[in-house]
Amino acid sequence: MPSSACAAWNDLLGNYLLRRVFQIPITLLGIIVFLFLLIHLAPGDPIIALAGEYGNEAYYSEMRAKFGLDRPVYEQLGVYLLALVRGDLGYSYVIGQPVAAIILSRLPTTLLLMGTAFLISSVSGIVMGVLAARKPDSPVDLSISIFSLVGYALPVFWLAQMMIFFLAGKLGWFPIYGLTSARERYTGFRLAVDVAHHLALPAAALAVQQVALVTRLTRAGMIDALAQPFATAVRAKGVSDRRLHLRHALRNALLPVVTVLGGRVGYLFTGAVLTETVFAWPGLGRLLLEATINRDYPILMGMFLMISGMVIVFNLLTDIIYVYIDPRIKYDR
Amino acid sequence: MNGKRLFTTLFLVLVLFLLGACAPAPVTTASPEPEATTEPTEEVDEETEAVVEPEPTEELMPEFAGGTLVVAVSNDPGSFNPGITTGFDVHVIADSIFNGLVALDGNANPVPDLATSWEVSDDAKVYTFHLAEGVTWHDGTPFTSADVKFTFENILLNFHSRTKAGLENVLASIETPDENTVVFTFNGPYAPLLQRLDVTEAPILPMHIYSDVEDPTQAEANLSPIGTGPFMWDSYTPGVEVRLVRNPNYFKPGLPQADEVVFRIIPDASTQLQALEAGEVDYIWSIPGPDEPRIADSPDTDILKASSGPGGGFCIMTMTFNLEREVFQHLEVRQAFTHAIDRQQILDQVIFGQGKVAVAPINSSISWAHLSDGPSYEYNPGLAEELLDAAGYLRGDDGVRFTVDFVHFPSFSKYGEVLREQLAAVGIALELRPLERDVTVDVVFNQRDFDTNIISYCNNTDPEIGVRRMYVSDNIGPIPFSNGAAYVNPDIDALFAEAAATADLEARGEIYRQIQEILLDDLPYWWIVETDSSRGIRSACHGFKPWTGHFVEAAYCDDN
Repeated sequence: MPSSACAAWNDLLGNYLLRRVFQIPITLLGIIVFLFLLIHLAPGDPIIALAGEYGNEAYYSEMRAKFGLDRPVYEQLGVYLLALVRGDLGYSYVIGQPVAAIILSRLPTTLLLMGTAFLISSVSGIVMGVLAARKPDSPVDLSISIFSLVGYALPVFWLAQMMIFFLAGKLGWFPIYGLTSARERYTGFRLAVDVAHHLALPAAALAVQQVALVTRLTRAGMIDALAQPFATAVRAKGVSDRRLHLRHALRNALLPVVTVLGGRVGYLFTGAVLTETVFAWPGLGRLLLEATINRDYPILMGMFLMISGMVIVFNLLTDIIYVYIDPRIKYDR
Repeated sequence: MNGKRLFTTLFLVLVLFLLGACAPAPVTTASPEPEATTEPTEEVDEETEAVVEPEPTEELMPEFAGGTLVVAVSNDPGSFNPGITTGFDVHVIADSIFNGLVALDGNANPVPDLATSWEVSDDAKVYTFHLAEGVTWHDGTPFTSADVKFTFENILLNFHSRTKAGLENVLASIETPDENTVVFTFNGPYAPLLQRLDVTEAPILPMHIYSDVEDPTQAEANLSPIGTGPFMWDSYTPGVEVRLVRNPNYFKPGLPQADEVVFRIIPDASTQLQALEAGEVDYIWSIPGPDEPRIADSPDTDILKASSGPGGGFCIMTMTFNLEREVFQHLEVRQAFTHAIDRQQILDQVIFGQGKVAVAPINSSISWAHLSDGPSYEYNPGLAEELLDAAGYLRGDDGVRFTVDFVHFPSFSKYGEVLREQLAAVGIALELRPLERDVTVDVVFNQRDFDTNIISYCNNTDPEIGVRRMYVSDNIGPIPFSNGAAYVNPDIDALFAEAAATADLEARGEIYRQIQEILLDDLPYWWIVETDSSRGIRSACHGFKPWTGHFVEAAYCDDN
């Protein structure tokens, strides 16, 4: 590891990082209490999902009592927090299984989708941004800019349906929906190919907006960096344009991109709700939607906890990455 | 040096953000069927279908058609015990694993299922069922009358909301004189029993599995159910699919036809449709009205009509008048609504002809109870205006007589738009309040904070199950989908009680017709349209029974 990197790492081990890590549980507690009150004070309760719609009054009150829904909200919150401290996320009202098991079973497929979309959008967005910034207002720049503007404006659900209609339905290049083929029972390599084939459209649909965003940010950052005095100085030293762009300007341009990418995790989840619904992709986005419709409080709380945790952790990672990208940033001891 | 670090960094950024994503990716689908014992190992690489059964040329149905059926469902119920819920999502999958005592044919008439025959005493108090012999559970344990008694007493009467509400106060005892006989005895005459014993209303569960279970709603067996039904549990991948395989020892000869049924979870309706048209699925439960002609005309797909299905049926879109509101205490106002609303337009423009205009409170498919010649209220806006004038609600300066709200599920917003326009023409301002299901229930039945609403009330196979709940006075209160109008009429209460205790079907039908005459005079609700469902199938598939939870019992496709 180069020495400057070691120094940066040592910086991070200082107070700042520790403080940030200690803040995590407190932030999470605040989020939990707020969201718990929010969803429990919202109108409606899960009684129909629990008991069906043809029961009599005695049955409904029996079921409410069984799941503790008849108790005051602060008491329900207390029970939830106590269980949470013991690592117990509770039982889903509707699915009748432990929340942790349900979320874990859906996590890999969502990560596959979100991770692929993230990879596509980061790589292609940065590449296109650099290309566009090479000669501002050139035909290349214009076409990339138009593409990213349109891509950013397209609603994900509409784009997803169009992809299904044309690329899967009319042209038959891709399967319409799902994670695997229903009529086959593939294993091993053939299964991986089958999953990749099914993954292509949803990942592309989910990535388009992010690609557009990363492209625009990178382009703006590059143009900005190239206009700065250091760029002139580097040029004066006789460094090639290619080297200037990739080794000097891009570093400066990446800072805002990293900030945005780190903060986009929550957005990716939002997009995943839509994409997973349209493509019948079996992930957490759909679980969140179903749980909201059914007022399945334990699942909702578990999901909120996980998403908030992820956003917090990714923000922390973003701060750490800053130090690597920009030597000027140091966190105080 | 700097440049190298830059690319290291770039890489690091991605790696860090993808931290979780990269590692578990290969795990995603590795688990559905690790054993895969039934996999045909030969010729998997062929482009053509691997399992092509030789097509018999003669007219006779082959002994078993075989093949894999793919059925699209909208939701993953997550748990598969049909005895503890009335939910469509559970029944649509789990009903194929179980049986009821009797089944219902396409006209809702009882036909044998686990019970091959039955006798009803003349006073309709005692029902004796003779069970099929030699039936075994999927794990090999013999099925007996004790399973039936256990299922009713320990599961259905505690957890199945419809069966519990219907039977718990009228059923006196269930006895099992021998292994193949079950006797139901009622406190008084009870006529509708045979209509509520099919696999959706009263699936029979295995006593040897559930007798030791403390809480049947959270039993492990709910995730690997054992039944007597045509298909056996194979595997479940949450959010993805449920696979069932043929029960080789099914007690009905020649059934089921298919080797395997795969329920694929596809939440989006248009994706389901695309998948059907592309041949990726064989059967979907609902075709949106505007797409129906295209599906019907295509050589690859067909439509099956049904007015009932697992989880409910014979539904009427019904407008509720909150009779606790001053304005709706005037009969003229309620009559004015009936004349102001053009139901034919709603049938054409909202549900695209998938149903018919309602003429009575009981669905026309329940023909023995339906009133076909009651008082009719023609579309006549002029008459509506006269009635409103007579009730004292004159048009104000802005042309509005009064404003009422209209609570509805977001999915019914088209009804709201058309009704608002029609009612505005006679000076009634309708304020739309779209609320999702659970909020609607809270607002309408708990808080009673509404003027009008629209709800799809399903009559189900007998008026006792799905009609009575809307009209009797002891069903007003915080009960979902109950008497939302808060309609109180002692004659109606007495007539419903009398109907339930009348054994003779014709005499019962007469009482229900009397009830409908009164309701059509009193107008606590306005019955707008009876709705049908259109199922979509591939043309190569046959034998589906679209009205029941046992819809795949005899189904197969020529080409799978």
